[in-house]
Amino acid sequence: MLEKRDLILAIAVIVLGATGTYLMLPHRHGSAKPRRVHLIGAVLAGLALLLFATFWRAPASAISSLFFYAFSLAAVAGGLLTITSRNPIHSALWFASVVLSTSGLFLLAGAQFLAAGTVIVYAGAIIVTFLFVIMLAQMEGRAPYDRAARAPGRATFSCFLLFWALFYALLIVRVAPHPKGVAIDTDNERLVRSGEIASSYGLKADHPARLISELARRDTLRMDDISKRPKPHVAGLGEALYTEHLISVELAGTLLFVALIGALAIATPKLPIRPGDPRPQPLTKL
Amino acid sequence: MTPFPFELLMNYLLVGAALMALGMLGFLSRRNLIVMFLSAEMMLQGTALTLVGFGRYHGNWTGQIFTIVILTVAACEASVALALILILFKRRSSLDVTLWNELRESTQAPFEEPTVEEEAESVAPALGPESYPHLTRAGLEPAHPTSPWIERRK
Repeated sequence: MLEKRDLILAIAVIVLGATGTYLMLPHRHGSAKPRRVHLIGAVLAGLALLLFATFWRAPASAISSLFFYAFSLAAVAGGLLTITSRNPIHSALWFASVVLSTSGLFLLAGAQFLAAGTVIVYAGAIIVTFLFVIMLAQMEGRAPYDRAARAPGRATFSCFLLFWALFYALLIVRVAPHPKGVAIDTDNERLVRSGEIASSYGLKADHPARLISELARRDTLRMDDISKRPKPHVAGLGEALYTEHLISVELAGTLLFVALIGALAIATPKLPIRPGDPRPQPLTKL
Repeated sequence: MTPFPFELLMNYLLVGAALMALGMLGFLSRRNLIVMFLSAEMMLQGTALTLVGFGRYHGNWTGQIFTIVILTVAACEASVALALILILFKRRSSLDVTLWNELRESTQAPFEEPTVEEEAESVAPALGPESYPHLTRAGLEPAHPTSPWIERRK
């Protein structure tokens, strides 16, 4: 079970984070000055973030732990500032920092292709969002709907309840002991341990769970080849994508095409039909 | 391949959970349609972090492939959502999502909530004196053209 110290720290993270976020959300807090309330909220949320960082374990090498902490702190702090900024332009900028830090974390987890892909896709998305903000939103966050969150107390409560549930469920997880009763000695053994799930639970050869876990162990889906050497990154990913998940690729392409048609159908300006106008002719001769 | 022990996976799951909860908070509590859209994208980012961490921990590509699919769905969502934002802004000239609460079910009672003006926090006045250009007083008012400017563009 959870140690008492960890439990108290986790509760402190949740309570401080919820209070700080509630104070930072744009909303009228009695007659208090918005700037001062915002400052108190930022201090509380920053404290919660630092306490949250004590639950992370540093990676083995100093360089990667430095980058890991920088990217994770930037991601969570950027996320907090995205949802609490009054000005939508600031929200978009903080969201850009979230995306960049997430792709840094992808890079640390050995997903180079996804890191590049995320930056490319979301850079376009953020630029388009920027255009929309400049076109549509009122500058400086002066619009009343930018300064009034919707039911901030209830929303903060339910979202931090969700966060507490996820947090607690993750904290009480311990690595299962080795099926053969041997202590797991090397990290590499832990890495390949997932391949032994089927045999460790003693599933019969025709058990459906065994079939599924055999499926997850196919050679095309593994990150290392038969001689335990890592595959080249993009080649391995492409092999897995175009052998095991070919239908998903086709479906994704179809989805993009349908979304293109949908966006065009929604956004094309249409002439308003007024009473007295001649009825539009149906397009029969196409 | 460098080892990826369970503790590192836990880091990724914790950060992903935090991003997911923050994105949900933004989606539920903000009124601006554009900020709501950004919050939804942030929830997807948290999920993607979780999937990549799990894939690396188990040593197979499925997590990254799921993330590529998420990226595709996010792109589709962005195109449709921005088209919708454009149309909704054209109708009401405002990005406030609460103006659209008649899109609910016809049998559903409206959600009672205080108006925006009651809840909005006050704007801090700009620091320093506002500087408008000082013009000298003009003499006679010039004669205005009688036709509007659009008709004069020929």
